[in-house]
This record gives sequence, structure tokens and C-alpha cells, in this order.
Amino acid sequence: MKRDSLSAPTWQRFRRSKLASFALAYVVFMALLAVLAPLLANRKPLLERTANGWSSPALADYWLDDPDLDRPPSAATFTLAAPVAYSPNTIDLGGRLTAPSRQHFLGTDDLGRDILARMIHGARLSLAVGFLATLIALVVGSFLGAIAGYYGGAADWIVSRTIEIVLCFPFLFLVLGIVALFKPSMGTLMIALGLTSWTSEARYVRGEFLRIRELEFAQAARASGARDGRIIFRHLLPNALAPVIVSSSFGVAAAILTESALSFLGLGVPLPTASWGSILAGAKEHIDYAWWLVLFPGLAIFTTVAAFNIVGERLRDALDPRSD
Amino acid sequence: MTTYVIRRLLYAVLTFFGITVATFALIHSVPGDPISFFAGRAGISTLPPEIADAVRREFHLDKPLPVQYAYWLRGAVTMDFGTSILDRRPVRTRILEKLPATFQLNFVAFLLAALIGIPIGLWSANRSGRLSERASAVGFFLLYSLPSFWVALLLMQWLAVKLDVLPLFGMASNDYLEMTPAQQLADRMRHMVLPVLTLTYAQLAIFARFTKSAATEVIRQDFITAARAKGVSNRAVLWHHAFRNALMPLITLLGITIPYLLSGSVIVEQIFQWDGIGLLYYDAILSRDYPTVMGLTVVTAVMTLLAGLFADVLYAVADPRVRLGESA
Repeated sequence: MKRDSLSAPTWQRFRRSKLASFALAYVVFMALLAVLAPLLANRKPLLERTANGWSSPALADYWLDDPDLDRPPSAATFTLAAPVAYSPNTIDLGGRLTAPSRQHFLGTDDLGRDILARMIHGARLSLAVGFLATLIALVVGSFLGAIAGYYGGAADWIVSRTIEIVLCFPFLFLVLGIVALFKPSMGTLMIALGLTSWTSEARYVRGEFLRIRELEFAQAARASGARDGRIIFRHLLPNALAPVIVSSSFGVAAAILTESALSFLGLGVPLPTASWGSILAGAKEHIDYAWWLVLFPGLAIFTTVAAFNIVGERLRDALDPRSD
Repeated sequence: MTTYVIRRLLYAVLTFFGITVATFALIHSVPGDPISFFAGRAGISTLPPEIADAVRREFHLDKPLPVQYAYWLRGAVTMDFGTSILDRRPVRTRILEKLPATFQLNFVAFLLAALIGIPIGLWSANRSGRLSERASAVGFFLLYSLPSFWVALLLMQWLAVKLDVLPLFGMASNDYLEMTPAQQLADRMRHMVLPVLTLTYAQLAIFARFTKSAATEVIRQDFITAARAKGVSNRAVLWHHAFRNALMPLITLLGITIPYLLSGSVIVEQIFQWDGIGLLYYDAILSRDYPTVMGLTVVTAVMTLLAGLFADVLYAVADPRVRLGESA
């Protein structure tokens, strides 16, 4: 999406920064982890051969919420285990709080669950929430910004006052309140984040609309008798999206940060769903020795948020012809 | 000037009503009947209907929503949000007694961040494009992306557990009351170090970046080139000419940081068990203490509103272009 909507010179300018290219590669890597999580960390084998022929138990429950339900042991003649042979919720009370070892590369938590498996699945949650919440913010913000910028007058006044009101609430107070008082779940989290963070998108789109609505191509569309809706969504919006894409990269970073903060406070997606923030929350009680519970999930949150921020920053510079 | 301030005030009043409507609508769209919820919490499985009705009448829950809103708003304009469901004390008192603790942390963090961040921002604006400046820009960017709850845990692990030089959490030691006043002060300050460090670093990055972009904008202008051409030293250009003009956007930052600080307080106060409004909000949310939740939501939003108003008026006083009216 990013490459299509950006012109080739912008992309070239983007790549001139090694740090930003690296950050983008890291984002892609994290996205792959998220998409492939059930195949990367799963107690069930990737591939096995039984009397019934070949099958892939890991792939079979790709969409399952809790892929950890017990299944009868099968008489497999051949199995290919997943790279990390633990599911995020595989409890092993004999192996509680073990330091990183060859069996558990990043150690285990106080229920003996494998941290690497939980982190791979946590990436899935974080990125899904980050992207979808930003998408909601993008749709809501672009729509309201477009209406405000195109019609001006009363519409603009109402949207601007609404933005002012939303910005008055401390972000975390609002999200925390919505998520905790309604049912805490991934859906509530995304909607709460999306509905509270659309303001910067709306402002950008509004500003762009004010700038381009009187340009010749907009006037031409109007002169040819196009309806308002068509002018807004077909002619103007595509031309106003560039700065919004930039801000959406920052938006993903902020959403991931907020999601992990909520999970850390115990008010995010309910347990036992693996989340980087909830692993960190579990580290609090064992802070005197379980350093691996603090280090790895924190590092994952930090690097992912930083990567999205760096990509956004570089995109902003690359889109601005004055820079470089 | 006066018309500008009056218009700004009218908008603020309007925004205040928006804040109360939004808060009220949000809380009242939470599914579930509050009465049966609290009856259940109190261990009463079947509440006699006549008692439920009496409670409903007492709290005006039998009236239509707009009327309920009007009752609530009548209190809210004087910051009277009723009594807490937890301990039956007025919400206003509960908030007021926790505010100083939050203010204490944030004031120190804000000062530290400004004192360190602004000079660094000016310094990097002056060295724009050089390697050292670009490296520091990346450094601040990374600092800004660091999750505060992680930093808090790392600090706890290092300074409180491993080196054991600072208390892990809380606002005072157990033997606080037996200390001399000097020891009490030292004890409080020791307890403040970790939360303040956690609050400061991200703000510092914001201050540095904001100052840098504001100063860079100023440095590009003709009067700076003129000052340089006239032979004014680099240091004097920076501090005397650029800094004063770069201060203007910093006024805006004042208004923006308040909600940001309050959000950070929830996390930091929860981790360090610092007894301020952030922790109060967290506990109120967990125990579904609706009057406290609503009160705190309105109070924090109003604090943001007032900070923004203050920043705008200050801006108008300082900048003749705003003061004399055309761009508002």
C-alpha cells in the first residue's frame, strides 16, 4: 500500500536512509512473525504422517483462538515439529521460571510457558491491534476531515469543535475507561484506540482539502457536473492521503505502545492470550531474579515501536521536497 | 486582544459542555444496570424491587437520560460529582487529596525535562545536518519510543533490586513517622527518584525535538542571517535572537503536554504505587466506581482545557500577530 501510493522518487528518497530501510525491513519481519505465528510456535507438528496420510495439525487450527486444547496422541510415523515446539499456552509446572536455555531460548514464565512462543503470538496481537486500530482511525479521520475541509462552514465548525473536545481527554484515561468498562477484548481495544486517535488524521485531511479543493482539477470535476460524494472520494481524497499515510505509521506505533501499556496494567486483552505487555506484567512479581521476563518482551515493544516511528519520520521527510 | 480572549473563553465554555456530554454519554452507554451490579458486588443476590426503586429514585435513575444529565451537570459545573461508591466520601475530596502527589511528580519531571531538553534542542538546531546532531536526533527518537513501564521495570531491577540504593515503590518508608523532619524529606525524595526518572526521559525527548524544530524554523529567517552578517557571535545569535522566538511554539507545548503527563501518571503511579490521581483512576476503573471515574475524567479534561486556554492567551500576549487579530 505504501509503495503504490507513493511516487517513485519518494521511495528512492526513503531508501537513501539506511536506518529507515532497516526499520522498514524490521517491520516486515515483525509482520511475517505475526502472520505465521501459529506455524512458528506450536506444540502440534507442522507436518505429520499417520495411517490416514499426510496432514498439518499446526496449519489446521490457524484461526483457532486457543490452539492448545489437548488432542489424542496420534500414531504418527513421521513428524516435522514447528521451529518453536511450544504453544503460547502450554503450561509446564515442572519447568517454572527457568532461565533461557537450549530447551527454552528465552526462558519460561511462572506457569512454565515458553516465552519465545508467547512473544511470537504476542506479535500477532500487537500488530493486529496496531494496524486495525490505525485503519479505523484512518477511515473515521479521513471521512470527518474531508467533510470539514470540503464543505467548510457549519460542518467544519462542528468537526473542529469535536476534535478539540476529544483532544482534551488524556488519551490513556479515555482508552482505559472504554476498554475496562465495556468488555475487554481485542475488538473493544481496537475500536477504543481507533475512536480516540482519529484527530490527527482528520486535521491533516482537512488541511489538505482546504488547499486542494479550489485547484483546477477539483473545479473541472465540479464543472463537469460530478456529485459532491464523487468529487470528495474519487478526486480529492486520493490527493490528500499522502500526509495521512505518514501519520498512520506513527499511529501504528502509538497503538502498539498503548495496547502493551493496557495489557501491562492488566486491562488489555484478557489472559491467557499472549501479549508483550502481559508478559512484562508477570515479570513484576519476579523482578528480583527473572531478568529474562523483563528484558525480552520490553525489547520487542521498544524495537517495534521505534521501527514504526522511524519509518514514519523518514516517510515524512521523503514526502517533503524541501528536505534532503 | 480582548475580543480574541473573549472568543477563546466562549469556545472553552462550549468545549466544557462537550466534555461533560461526552463523559456522560460514554458512561451511560456501558451495558448493564448499575443497581443490580452493585447489589451483586455487595453479595445481595435478590434485591427487593421496592428498595431497587427507592435507590433508583434517589439517584434520579428513573428519569429520562437528558434529565439525569442535567442533574449531573448541575453538580459538575461546581466540580461536585457526588460520592464515591467505594467509601461514600465526596468524589471532589478524594480527587483533591490525591492531586498534590501527582503534581509533585510531574512538576519535577517537567522542570527537569525542560532544563535539559531545551538547551539540547537549541544545540542541535545550530548543528543541523552534522553527524553529531543526526546521531542525537536518532537517540531522542529511540528515547521517545521507549515504553515507560519497561523503563520503570529496568530501573527497579537495576537501582532498587540489584544495587539496592533506592526503594522499590511507595511514597514513604514504613518508619516514616519516627523520622526527623530532615530524614522525612530525604526519604520522600528517595522515593521520588525512580518515578521522576521514568516520567522525565520521554518528555525530555519531546522538548528537545520541539525546541529543535522551532529553532530551525527561526534560524532560516532573514533577521538571523542579518544578525550573523552584522558579526554577532554564534552563541549570541542562538540565545539572544533565535531562542526568544523559538520560545513561542514552546508555549503551545505547555498546553499539549498536560494530557500527555496525566496519561503517563496512570502507568507510573500504578507501577510505583504512588498515591496520586493516576492510581485513583486505575482503582476506580477496576472497582467500577462510576462517580469517581466520571469526576476524574471531567477534571483531567478540564485541566487540559485550562492549560490550552492559558497557552493561547499567553501566546496572544506575546505575539502581536495574534493579538491584533487576523489569524486566530
